[in-house]
Amino acid sequence: MSDVDVTGLSSEPGLKRADRVRLLAQPLAVLVVVGAVLVWAFARETDEIEAESIQAGVLLTKTWEHLLITVVVTAIVVGVAVPLGAMLTRRWAKPVAPVFLGIANIGQAAPALGVLVLFFLWTGWEGLWAAALPIAFYSLLPVLRNTIVGIQSVDPSLVDAARGIGMSPRSVLLRVEMPLALPMVLAGIRTSLVLAVGTATLAFFVNGGGLGELVDTGYKLNRPAVLVVGAVLAVGLALVVDWLGALAEQLLGPKGLG
Amino acid sequence: MTLFDYIADRWDRLALQSWLHVSEVVQSTLLAAVLGVLIGVAVYRSPVGSAVATGLASTILTIPSFALLGLLIPVFGLGPTPAVVALVLYALLPITRNTIVGLAGVDPAVTDAAKGIGMGRLAVLTRVELRLAWPAILAGMRVATQMLMGIAVIAAYAKGPGLGGEVFSGLTRAGSANATNQALAGTLGVVVLALLLEGVYFFIARFTVSRGIRG
Repeated sequence: MSDVDVTGLSSEPGLKRADRVRLLAQPLAVLVVVGAVLVWAFARETDEIEAESIQAGVLLTKTWEHLLITVVVTAIVVGVAVPLGAMLTRRWAKPVAPVFLGIANIGQAAPALGVLVLFFLWTGWEGLWAAALPIAFYSLLPVLRNTIVGIQSVDPSLVDAARGIGMSPRSVLLRVEMPLALPMVLAGIRTSLVLAVGTATLAFFVNGGGLGELVDTGYKLNRPAVLVVGAVLAVGLALVVDWLGALAEQLLGPKGLG
Repeated sequence: MTLFDYIADRWDRLALQSWLHVSEVVQSTLLAAVLGVLIGVAVYRSPVGSAVATGLASTILTIPSFALLGLLIPVFGLGPTPAVVALVLYALLPITRNTIVGLAGVDPAVTDAAKGIGMGRLAVLTRVELRLAWPAILAGMRVATQMLMGIAVIAAYAKGPGLGGEVFSGLTRAGSANATNQALAGTLGVVVLALLLEGVYFFIARFTVSRGIRG
């Protein structure tokens, strides 16, 4: 059975064209839709409750909180998953690799909201870290798996050649294996980014802020305008983050490949 | 109260919620499969159409589920409707994409041979191409189902049915006696049900994939 990654941001050659179309169309669509909704939200008559949420300061704060969670999550994921993945491909770590992959698999199979809520109930923490840590656990798998698969699929003869010219195991990893695995790692990071920015809309459940809070406010106080502004900003932010990930994939991939 | 006592005590309600959760996810997957295969069949012969369909479907998948759900509330109100609409939209991508990849991967020599023995366009599609693409379509449905199991939890925010209700009431009742048990029962329930469905897919693949291409 063909294996398909969940986010749909694949690098299958046949679908490269779809990725190119998105690279152009996505930021334009975001600009138009977010711009239109903001103009609509600010131009219409707002009552007192709406005015409390629909103002530049609040929207910027919520967007910033959302972005901060995403950045912190990505930093944790990259900082943990890339070294861990590289370590698990070393010969001495072969027996324990499935254990770590299994744990990461369970992390992603569990519903994101459940992981978030359970972490909150167990630790009693609130705020940025209460949101960032469980979201990082939840979005760890793509980077871990892609790092391992990326390094394992490096042509063994290249590794042999590197050893043959006298490179130390460390420089074989850093100068040969990692650069060749980079496209896979970057694809994994992009997947994790999308998971992180999406799950960050749930951060407000544990007082972590973010754009989900506007959706919640609009829903609870029965102000659809606030809900729509929050949701559209969250959608726009997710698409922009995904677009930046795609751009990074294009720009940071090693020149010798592809 | 330990988790086991809790589950034993609330078994009736948990069983009902589990059933609703699975039924919601399975129905949404089936609906998305019908739509996804139709879209796939409509566009797989045109590179531009394939690119647009996969591009759009990927974009939908990038949208945070909570934000999409929020946008659906003013349109569809509360209850199962917004939940099912959101679930179907998210399930579309893996299924549509795999349908396109599966159909495009069919060896042209095989379809030529089918035409050569006098099969019409429809017969070639239904009796040759779709059967050869079926493992890929099924894999797409499997990925979609696994994803929907988690998204359906969030859909409980809009009063959608299923185990998400347990997670949410665990959250709102934080600090009270059974809050953690409740959230844990909901979360673990989803994981267990997802594993069970994975097993079901294994058997469906075993019995429905054409014998000639079974690995």
